Amino acid sequence: MPRPARIICVGNRHSPGDDLGPRVHALLAGSRLPGGVELVDGGLCGLDLLRVIEGAGRAVFVDAVAGFARPGEVVTLHREDVAALTEGVWGHDAGLPYLFHLLPRVCDGEVPEVLLIGAEGPAETAMVAAVAARALAEAVRP
Amino acid sequence: MAVRKILDIPINRVEGDLELRLEVADGVVVDAWSAGTMFRGFERLLIGRGALDGLVVTPRICGICSTTHLMTAAKALDAIAGATVPDNGVRLRNLSLMVEHVQSDVRHGILMFLVDFANPAYRALPMHEEAVRRYAPLVGEAIVETVRETKRIIEIIAMIGGQWPHSSFMVPGGLSYAPQVTELLQCRHVLDAFRAWYERRVLGCSIERWKAVDSLAALDVWLDESAAHRDSDVGFLLRFGRAAGLDRLGNGHGAFLSYGSLDLPAETAAQGVGGHLIPAGFARGSVVEALDPTAISEHVAASWYAAADGGLHPSEGKTEPYASGEEGRRYSWVKAARYLGGPAETGPFAERVVAGDPLFTDLLERQGANALARELARLTRPATLLPTMALWLAEVVASGARDVYADPGPITDGVGVGMIQAARGALGHWVSIKNGRIDRYQIITPTGWNGSPRDSGGVRGPWEEALIGTPVADADNPVEVGHVIRSFDPCLVCSVHTVRKGKTLGRVRLEA
Repeated sequence: MPRPARIICVGNRHSPGDDLGPRVHALLAGSRLPGGVELVDGGLCGLDLLRVIEGAGRAVFVDAVAGFARPGEVVTLHREDVAALTEGVWGHDAGLPYLFHLLPRVCDGEVPEVLLIGAEGPAETAMVAAVAARALAEAVRP
Repeated sequence: MAVRKILDIPINRVEGDLELRLEVADGVVVDAWSAGTMFRGFERLLIGRGALDGLVVTPRICGICSTTHLMTAAKALDAIAGATVPDNGVRLRNLSLMVEHVQSDVRHGILMFLVDFANPAYRALPMHEEAVRRYAPLVGEAIVETVRETKRIIEIIAMIGGQWPHSSFMVPGGLSYAPQVTELLQCRHVLDAFRAWYERRVLGCSIERWKAVDSLAALDVWLDESAAHRDSDVGFLLRFGRAAGLDRLGNGHGAFLSYGSLDLPAETAAQGVGGHLIPAGFARGSVVEALDPTAISEHVAASWYAAADGGLHPSEGKTEPYASGEEGRRYSWVKAARYLGGPAETGPFAERVVAGDPLFTDLLERQGANALARELARLTRPATLLPTMALWLAEVVASGARDVYADPGPITDGVGVGMIQAARGALGHWVSIKNGRIDRYQIITPTGWNGSPRDSGGVRGPWEEALIGTPVADADNPVEVGHVIRSFDPCLVCSVHTVRKGKTLGRVRLEA
């Protein structure tokens, strides 16, 4: 049985500027997903998302970003791009960079391809739709 | 007159929204101000929402203590509804909370605290090479092993709650989901594996052997007893921590608080005090007295909130941001939580002192509170929880996992409070329901106690006080300050998660 692609949305729906992931999750949760694609509400978790990555064929994270794009632009970052941002030591705010950096050392089974789809600025309807579309496209990409 | 200059010094992991201003004289901290720089605002966000909304909203305050806030919110609503939670509901709620505790304790101890022993500041210490091998950021053998071994334990919450993360399975009257016995047997497997690893790696001995350590002298005997003890993470914490002088850092006010936590089921083989596995109480030094919840207050004299000076009980207090322009007098978005009008520290060490634990009482009486004792309490707390977790799991399975919920009926108007011990210490939700909606919601987090600014009387908060006397050998690498602050396990920033280009650093500002 092929491993599923997982779209993992992270962020805080109660914090403007950090609510892109939850809004994309809400949009995708209300639609029919292609076969082999799973949707995860990753919430505020960082390191604890390791178990969600394990077993996936591809892990497509969705999160707000800062400093990678012009406002409204959707960007695709590879695991290594995000991992390079880690400050090296785990803290309560370590988040995805720490997780992505450690992943090859701590992942049980085959390490999946990991991507981050992000955008900067208010998570308005058009941006949410564009990010959701990019995440789906990456999830089903052969 | 001494020339004063202000230096902004980056320090990792004092969180992006915590700033410390330190006044240093002759290389030693002589005064300290702790500033939370971000308005949280969850209390205001909840006003006017449905009575049950705290169960959904408050778990999103924190990515690490999500279940903890859920439990506290549920207990506040239990009180309002007059709910009696069936024994299995109590056991499964407790189990979920304890999972969060034991994971947090081990991760903090190794990934956040012991990792500092690999700091270049300790290059001259004979054990530094070993510290680097074990705890170097991202590559140390203990770092990698800890991440691997702590990742599965949260599956217990998912199996009990039927969902993870940010589950809302605790409701007034118990649980909204009744796990199957087969799922609970899986929980037992995960729990047993975690305990076996914890004993082998972290303690270096069985939990039963560790529990026999009941004094400073017994601790020394334990450390000398075997290579397994010395090579464990607890053993290394003691060996390196003493060599680095951590048992002489971070004294504080000497006042300790525990709300009490983990309600005992009506019928259980577990033993506790006053209906809790973790006892409630307040201690001045090692003298413990009963907890009086009416003695809790919040001061805002040094915080950016509108209110009269003087403390208000959280059932009366408000959270109205007020950018006063009174820079200097007001300097933090954290309020000053006080007990009997004075500061009190909370957390695993305070829990053990309030519980009258013989080891930590002896350490307190002989050495005073210190950074090493606080972290020792944290790293060994799972030894006090894991056996009861297994017991309660077995009791639920033996009873067929039935009766996890008793309908309390609709939530009526009224007031209630949920008070528990989070991983980092005392957590309370004070809730008022009016016309079926939330009329008031006040939250005091553990960092509201430990990281509080000055109160109406100008008295420092616990970690402000604990920093007094801390040496700062290198202003560019104030590792000693980090030890003191991290021994309290500060938590302010969990709701900010954006992937950000560039480094995000908290700052320590030194005035020298």
